[in-house]
Amino acid sequence: MNQQELVQGDALFEGSAQTWVDGPDQADALPQELLAAPALRFWPLLKGFTSRHRRRASLAAAGYQASRHPKRGLPIAENSTVSRFIGRMIKERHWLAFGLIVANCLAAITGAIMPQLLGSMIDRVAAGHSGDQLMAWVTGLCAVVLGLMLVQGILTFLARRLAAIFGQGMVAAGREYVIRAVLKLPLSKVETASTGDLVTRVTRDVGNMGAMVRWAMPTFVIGVVSLVVTLIGIFVNSWWLALPLVLTLAVMTWAVRDYLRVAPAGYITEGAAYSRLNTSLTETVEGARSVEALGLGRRRLDLTDNDIESASQMERYTMALRAKLFTWQGLAGQLPMAAVAIMGFIGYSQGWVTLGQITAATVYLQQMNGPIDRIIMTVNQMQIGVSSTSRLLGIAAVPADRQTSDQRPADQHLVGRDLTFAYRPGRDVLHDVSLDLRPGERLAVVGPSGSGKSTLGRLLAGINAPRQGVVEVGGVDVMTLPLQQLRTEVALVTQEHHVFVGTIRDNVILAREDATSDEAVWQALTAVEADGWVSRMPDGLDTMIGSGRTALTPGQAQQVALARLVIADPHTLVLDEATSLIDPTTAREVEGSMSSLLGGRTVVAIAHRLHTAHDADRIAVVIDGRIAELGSHDELLALGGEYAKLWMAWTS
Amino acid sequence: MKLFPPDIHAYTQVTSTGATAAARPDEEVPDTRSPLRFVLWLLWQQKGLIAITTILISVWWLPGSLNPRILTMVIDQGIIAGNWSVTWRWTLVMVAIIVVGVAANTAASNISVSSWLVSMFRVTKLVARKVTQMSHVVTRRVPAGEMLSVASSDADAFGAIAESFGRVLAAFLSFLLVSVIVLREHVMLGLVMLIATPLIVILTTPALRPLQRAQMVERERSSKLTGMAVDIVSGLRILRGVGGERTFGDNYARQSQSVRQAGVRTGSWWAVVDAMGTVTNGALLVGLTWLGLREVQLGHLTIGEMVGFFGYAMFLQRPVQTFFDAFQKWTASLVSAEKTIGLLSQEPPWPAQSSAAVVAEGQLIDHPSGFVADPGQLTIIVSAVPDDSAALADRLGRYLPADIERVDLGVSRELKGSAEKQEWQKRAAARAQQVRQDETLAAGDWGVTLDGVDIAQIPLPEVRRRIQVSDAGAVVFAGTLQSLIDPLHSHSRDQAEQALWAASAEDVWDAFADGWQGRIDERGRGLSGGQRQRMVLARSLLLDPEVLVLVEPTSAVDAHTEARIAERLPDFRSGRTTIMTTVSPLWLRQADAIAFLVDGQVLASGSHADLMANCPPYRAVVVRDDSQATAGGGDAASASPTAADSTADHLAGERR
Repeated sequence: MNQQELVQGDALFEGSAQTWVDGPDQADALPQELLAAPALRFWPLLKGFTSRHRRRASLAAAGYQASRHPKRGLPIAENSTVSRFIGRMIKERHWLAFGLIVANCLAAITGAIMPQLLGSMIDRVAAGHSGDQLMAWVTGLCAVVLGLMLVQGILTFLARRLAAIFGQGMVAAGREYVIRAVLKLPLSKVETASTGDLVTRVTRDVGNMGAMVRWAMPTFVIGVVSLVVTLIGIFVNSWWLALPLVLTLAVMTWAVRDYLRVAPAGYITEGAAYSRLNTSLTETVEGARSVEALGLGRRRLDLTDNDIESASQMERYTMALRAKLFTWQGLAGQLPMAAVAIMGFIGYSQGWVTLGQITAATVYLQQMNGPIDRIIMTVNQMQIGVSSTSRLLGIAAVPADRQTSDQRPADQHLVGRDLTFAYRPGRDVLHDVSLDLRPGERLAVVGPSGSGKSTLGRLLAGINAPRQGVVEVGGVDVMTLPLQQLRTEVALVTQEHHVFVGTIRDNVILAREDATSDEAVWQALTAVEADGWVSRMPDGLDTMIGSGRTALTPGQAQQVALARLVIADPHTLVLDEATSLIDPTTAREVEGSMSSLLGGRTVVAIAHRLHTAHDADRIAVVIDGRIAELGSHDELLALGGEYAKLWMAWTS
Repeated sequence: MKLFPPDIHAYTQVTSTGATAAARPDEEVPDTRSPLRFVLWLLWQQKGLIAITTILISVWWLPGSLNPRILTMVIDQGIIAGNWSVTWRWTLVMVAIIVVGVAANTAASNISVSSWLVSMFRVTKLVARKVTQMSHVVTRRVPAGEMLSVASSDADAFGAIAESFGRVLAAFLSFLLVSVIVLREHVMLGLVMLIATPLIVILTTPALRPLQRAQMVERERSSKLTGMAVDIVSGLRILRGVGGERTFGDNYARQSQSVRQAGVRTGSWWAVVDAMGTVTNGALLVGLTWLGLREVQLGHLTIGEMVGFFGYAMFLQRPVQTFFDAFQKWTASLVSAEKTIGLLSQEPPWPAQSSAAVVAEGQLIDHPSGFVADPGQLTIIVSAVPDDSAALADRLGRYLPADIERVDLGVSRELKGSAEKQEWQKRAAARAQQVRQDETLAAGDWGVTLDGVDIAQIPLPEVRRRIQVSDAGAVVFAGTLQSLIDPLHSHSRDQAEQALWAASAEDVWDAFADGWQGRIDERGRGLSGGQRQRMVLARSLLLDPEVLVLVEPTSAVDAHTEARIAERLPDFRSGRTTIMTTVSPLWLRQADAIAFLVDGQVLASGSHADLMANCPPYRAVVVRDDSQATAGGGDAASASPTAADSTADHLAGERR
């Protein structure tokens, strides 16, 4: 490469020297301190551990911040929005919530009576009563307790079932709300939003919200109710024996709050680390051929190992948090048993408590640990759920990109006037472009990549609003048309041959889903030459297609996509070749279908291939965000400009 | 001291033949002879961790197994007898046991999670290494999703079994200990308890079966629902652009409601299990009370002992529950193991080489087709059938043909019994067939020579280094722009800029505010097809291999940009061998030589002008692109220059 070109290269890649980094990637590397194996002596080990723990804490905090304030992608809702949302959903089923709490209370109370009755039996026996009479009384009481057990069983069933109905109903309503929000995303946002971000939201975040609503919230209620009832039982049984519990409760509250202050950040960052691992492993597996061709094997393995290491760091962090919590929880939960022995001795010798009360206290104490476990587990899950819910509600927080008016186009005449547009502020990619489309004409737009021709197409199709200027159809600004109307005026043909999971009919009637007869669907399918294979399908229009169902060939998928446009029936089509990549075999199959779609419509073809341009009525050459040349093929050849130069290169 | 992740060395060391072998002793390489052996191998790798888990959990359960006994002593000999010193001494012992137990619990939970992670990460790493070792060979044989599910969900199942293994051993020990204690205290009550506790767990199992069925239905419906959500998101551009929000929103809502129903059913079965647990546990307690009181009254039992029995009755449920959980995990892990060994037992098909040939630069010849590329030249392969050119490109780089059918690793979960067994066998047989086919292809001469030497004689890593094939499916990896273009950090900024410039990627550069540190999403999401293609091209150019084979490198790029690349690339590659498949005249004019392929054979070769003048089938393919000149390069296109036709035409020229 000669010197002159090099200079040109330098000028082209602005900021290259400042951003190039020699040596391996630093961005994702973990601090060295975390990777080294720690020494095996006690003090250095402990010191090393605390300092590593602090480092991990800051990694977790950073991960949490990153999840709350994404650099790209859709926004995240405020916590207050989340609590309002959850509050509203609970309110909508307040009777269920009420029944759930009542049933749980009753079940817990029945359970709490049992140790009391047990205690009284022991007292009787200990008091030295004996004989058949006593045994008859004991048998009778046992029968009563057994009956209570059955009642408790029924109440438990009721409570859990209500919890299931409540939780499942709420989570269904939640996810349906989210999908409706996704389906309302503004058109301009849809074009730029990362599919990955949305996919994570509708899969993992919906899952987390589900776990919270379906499991965590009801279990939390059950835990709190049982704990409160058991506590009441303990105090009613004997306030003296309950005294140590005050300390227990204080320690527990402190330990749990301490844990919950930091744990969610740890778990959220941990989840992010695992999803990074999944993503990079997916790339490695799906791109195995490229990995092999480029000799990237070692590097990809290092990347996977590094991702596993990151996940391990967060596992260690949450493990340490749990260790601390479990230690306090275990001590606070079990030591009261020893306290009961001491207090019991004093109380019994003073005549304050009976043996029965002591026995009941030990049973209560053991009954208490279950609910406490539950509460801790669920509060953690709920915090993760709230954070996911805020990401979900963020989808609904995207502001609309257009305001509709009542004006309707007078005719089919599409005009762009003085269009200026920028994706990033200060970087206009189109400058004052004006274009008047003659109804029925075929206009080819050509130009190098980055010249703004695709952007022009998107403005003409009403997907993005120009920063300045206006696109009008029949005298009305396209950005003020309701989407339903816009789709029947002008369509951007991306030819993504995405087949939705649904029937063939569902897949075709998209644009006029409310008013399309089977006859119209068949007409559309016939127009794109797809009637043959559809009629051979087992269930005709009702055949389920899409991923995991009857598979379509790429050609058939393409025909379905074209049939959608026949149904939409817009008078103007914007064809963007950059996004309409299909393989040659498929192209051959749909050739006829394509031409019947284009017949009689105004077509703006953003052309990659020169013969597209050659065959068009007019050609617009876009260079650096401006229309440099406009005219028929012959006119442009005569002009001897950019287009002529390229044509010569193509045909010579 | 670093317990996880484990270091894995299996499947990574490259031998001179290009095949790989274990670097460390044999035990590094998994035992893939049977699922059982694999699981045992996996557990054996972390035998120390499992042993420690067992000990710690046994210690953790000590308070549960000893404290009721101590409480008995305190009540009988301390409280009732009014003996203070017995009371505080035994209480102190109890405190000590609790403290030790809590410490052991904390340690046990850490160690058992570590055990889980070691096992899980080990399998994840093994899969990553196996895939990297087998690379293109295995992606042709097994669907990517199947391999990924082994690396994630099956790895998780192995984690679960590793974690629960130590727990099971501990549960067994505790159960024994408690049995001894209770039987020594009171034979009849002890027997009742030892029989009743497992019985309770067994009694709840009939309700577990419908619960599991309900769970399976819920999981299935729910994964279908998730699939629909992903479907909607992936097609969102169409749904918002063309319409159909109501139809698919409603479809989703319908499925969501059916998941809700399944969920309520699952929840109801859970409620049954919970309620039965409450009733059976209560019944055991009442029974013990009744029996106990009778014994107390008869003087066979003290009150303290009876209280102790309550403690044991509650405690014993834990080990029994553990047995049942572990049993389910064990069955699940064997199924996962069957899938895992289906992948890990595969070996690269390349034969061992006795000696590696030393080969200089020279002519690259594909003997079956008669294709010849002279060193240092730009040779273009033209064919009406793009698959033919792509197949030739693959052969030049010693890649096995892509056209074999992939075989799943697992079988449907709905199959049971002998049907399931047959399906497993069918999978194994299909895999064996793949292996035979590949090994036949890989054995002996390959049919492509470099400087007169068959490339099968050259070690595979060297073939890859010297002959680089950039296929149509080349993947853009996530990372910074710099790591995308220069993934091995082997080049200078100057060189990288030149490669970027040669691939005419100025507009991609402009799209990133952070220059070389701009972030690219996974698989190049966010870049247009043309941008992705030029990134791939720039990456290949920068590697600067001796022979670069490019499959349709500019199919998604517009004519202006293509013309620019066609001008710049030959300069960049000057002195190096470049082979390319395309039919674009903009490229053909730049070629040093062109090989025209018909039915996989070189029909004619020469310069563009030559072939245009003297080879009508070639002219037919090139002039009207390839849509109307079908295989064999038949008739010249009957040009019907309507915009409609030409739109289809240009579409024909595009490949992803």
